[in-house]
Amino acid sequence: MAGESGGECNRTNVFVVSARKRTMQKLAKKTGESLLFAVASFVAVIVLFIFYFVARDAVPFFQIRGFSEFFTSSNWYPADDPAQFGALAIIYGSLMVTLGSALIAVPMGVAAAICLSDILPFSIRQYAKPVIEMLAAIPSVAFGFFALVVLAPLLQNNGGPMLMWAWWILVSPFMLLAVIVLSDLLTTKITEPKRREQLHIFFLIFFGLLSVLFLFKVGTVLYGIQILTGTNALTVSIILSFMALPTIVSVSEDSLQAVGRDIREGSYALGATRAETIIKTVLPAGSSGILAAVILGIMRALGETMVVWMASGNSSQIPEPWFNYLQSIRTLTATIAGDMGEADQVTGSARFHVLFAMGLLLLVISFVSNLVSERIVVRQRKILSGQ
Amino acid sequence: MNIGTRKILDRSFTAVGIGSIVVMAVALMIVVVPIITNGIGAVFFTGTVEHRKMLFSEFKRGDSENLSSEVASSERYRAKVYGMLTGFEAELETMAPEKKAEYKTKYSEVRTALQALLGPLPGDQEPMLTRFKYGQTRWEKAEEKLHDLLYESKWDNSNPEVMAKEYFVSRAIGFEGTSLVKLFPYVKDNLDKMLLPEFTVYWGFITDSSVDSHFFGGIWPEIQGTFFLAIGAMLFAFPLGVVAAVYFTEYAKPGFLNSMLRSANSTLAGVPSIVFGMFGLAFFINTLKVSESKSVIAGALTLAIMILPTIIRAAEEAILAVPKTYREASLSLGSTKWNTIATVILPAALPGILTGGVISLGRAAGETAPIIFTAAVSVGSAIGLADVLSSPTPALSWNIYNLASEHEAAAQIRHVQYGMVLALVSIVLMLNLSAIVLRARISKKLKG
Repeated sequence: MAGESGGECNRTNVFVVSARKRTMQKLAKKTGESLLFAVASFVAVIVLFIFYFVARDAVPFFQIRGFSEFFTSSNWYPADDPAQFGALAIIYGSLMVTLGSALIAVPMGVAAAICLSDILPFSIRQYAKPVIEMLAAIPSVAFGFFALVVLAPLLQNNGGPMLMWAWWILVSPFMLLAVIVLSDLLTTKITEPKRREQLHIFFLIFFGLLSVLFLFKVGTVLYGIQILTGTNALTVSIILSFMALPTIVSVSEDSLQAVGRDIREGSYALGATRAETIIKTVLPAGSSGILAAVILGIMRALGETMVVWMASGNSSQIPEPWFNYLQSIRTLTATIAGDMGEADQVTGSARFHVLFAMGLLLLVISFVSNLVSERIVVRQRKILSGQ
Repeated sequence: MNIGTRKILDRSFTAVGIGSIVVMAVALMIVVVPIITNGIGAVFFTGTVEHRKMLFSEFKRGDSENLSSEVASSERYRAKVYGMLTGFEAELETMAPEKKAEYKTKYSEVRTALQALLGPLPGDQEPMLTRFKYGQTRWEKAEEKLHDLLYESKWDNSNPEVMAKEYFVSRAIGFEGTSLVKLFPYVKDNLDKMLLPEFTVYWGFITDSSVDSHFFGGIWPEIQGTFFLAIGAMLFAFPLGVVAAVYFTEYAKPGFLNSMLRSANSTLAGVPSIVFGMFGLAFFINTLKVSESKSVIAGALTLAIMILPTIIRAAEEAILAVPKTYREASLSLGSTKWNTIATVILPAALPGILTGGVISLGRAAGETAPIIFTAAVSVGSAIGLADVLSSPTPALSWNIYNLASEHEAAAQIRHVQYGMVLALVSIVLMLNLSAIVLRARISKKLKG
């Protein structure tokens, strides 16, 4: 009995050298894994630290000055005595350029994403992708320099004609399309072919003339506009939109790719054209992912510093009238970047802390929108995978 | 809707999509082309004798015999100008008092314009700033200054409805009837003999440090600072990022904790870059006190935090792309999990991880906002490797901003700014292009 068990013992000992070594191995594995975990949780620690340290320097401002002035007044005179810290105009400026860039970037970005995922053949897609990546790679300060040195003087000197040409080039194709569709829709009910043909041509000419007149009228109005300063909200919006585009394109393309082939093929089988398939089935299925892409792209524009600092004109005012994109504005990020150098000397004063309050505002907005977009993507993935 | 209209709609839908991609490509061209064409002008340009003088006395470069013969020949033509000036000064003394006062202001304008064009005139005091010690070093600038000498700029405010318009009046008319009137056609005709323009290739723009806040010289301190910051950031972020990616892909178990960590990662990726700068100031400098004030190390740490999420994501993707069969083969041969990761999975994923690393390196090099408060100074010389712990550095990204927006003579040194932008953009795009090429090769390899 004893001999037998001893033999068994010997046999297992061939594989496990000693109990001590085994515990050592286990211990090593455990420490290794916990070390890895420690490194991985480093990111979370940093996020907590960022929130803590920005908030730590932001809270004193609200303790000293309260909330109402910061959010409701637009008198920004931090260096005066007594100082005024009304950031409304600055917050408004940030929102304005963000909205402006979204207006340009979202339609373009979604169209480009659709094009990349559904329309272009693979051979061309290969060349289109690096273009988008290069656009994403160009440093923001290079965009800012371009805006300040090339685009702003161009807009200031030839603002009216440039606006007119942009209006003609961008809007006239859509006008033409609208005329064709409208005249078609108005004549579909008529059954007699000859009359229908005549009416169709009449409508085409009628709406065509109307739209040319409209284009021309608005064009001449735009031509007469004098842009007093090239460093304005429009310049910044244009540049920011091109910086936000790569994010919007790549995230919404991912979401469109996640929409399965079966949905597309079902739609084609029902006789829909490619455009109808995309608009009526693919886009609704991928809409939440596109929303996430839009949120991420907008955040890129809101958080951008160098372009707005260099090319927005940095004047703390709400434009007159409020939608006038041709006036200088000032944004949160540019204020932080520009004022920190002077406020740094007076650490502990409201002037220093107000900048951290702005940083906290940016941080909270970016945190919330990130969480929202992440939730949206997760939900879409669940729905599409049929769970 | 009839079938024709549907077809048109379909086509135009395609056209809108393709059009927006084309617009992006065109925008890229519109941004990059002026940067390249003007940026090249910082190295290849038509230099004047003043440029060669400056190189010789500031950098001890060039052939002194050649230079002195050139200076002598240019001085021969300049002597006549100087002669005209002294002649007019003598004439001024003989004029009636009110006429004298009128001409005196005009004459001092002419003198200033000539100083800008040719450098200090005889009888001038030795200037304090280096920028006034030399005339125009670049021929195209010299032509601009010649225009300033020949014409007086005036503003037309007569119509209050539109913006004031600039127009030019010939200065020669103002000196009609005096001896100085001959000066203007003489300078115009003999400018090339006074400045001896010749095609110059100035590689020193990349390797020299700047003279008198970037009026002359090159951008080496900025390039070096950018490299220090970007590579420093990589040294911190790359190992951390790869290890974290290994944890996420190989060890993490799905659950609350894991999803929290992932949310933290994407939150960090979305934090605005200026907030990183504030955090770097508040944490690394004011709290941890890694250095007295701004320093390379504080900037590199801040940048490292910023690029960490990108590296983690890229490394995760690269590890997940390694075929399952590799892992199974290794495990079936009896190696442990850690062994498999270290000897099979990481080497196979390495090119992908490096791609992410290279892109992050480019991002760290190009980013400005995080280093404004933590590492960047506007003027400074190149720092030694030992100083990274304590001293700040100029960096390309920050100095582009600084020279373009805050420099006292920003419009005069556009060529330096363009040169800097080109240097930065080409560093970043080169890194990105190599990443794209690397990735194309990997995907070919994985396809077999």
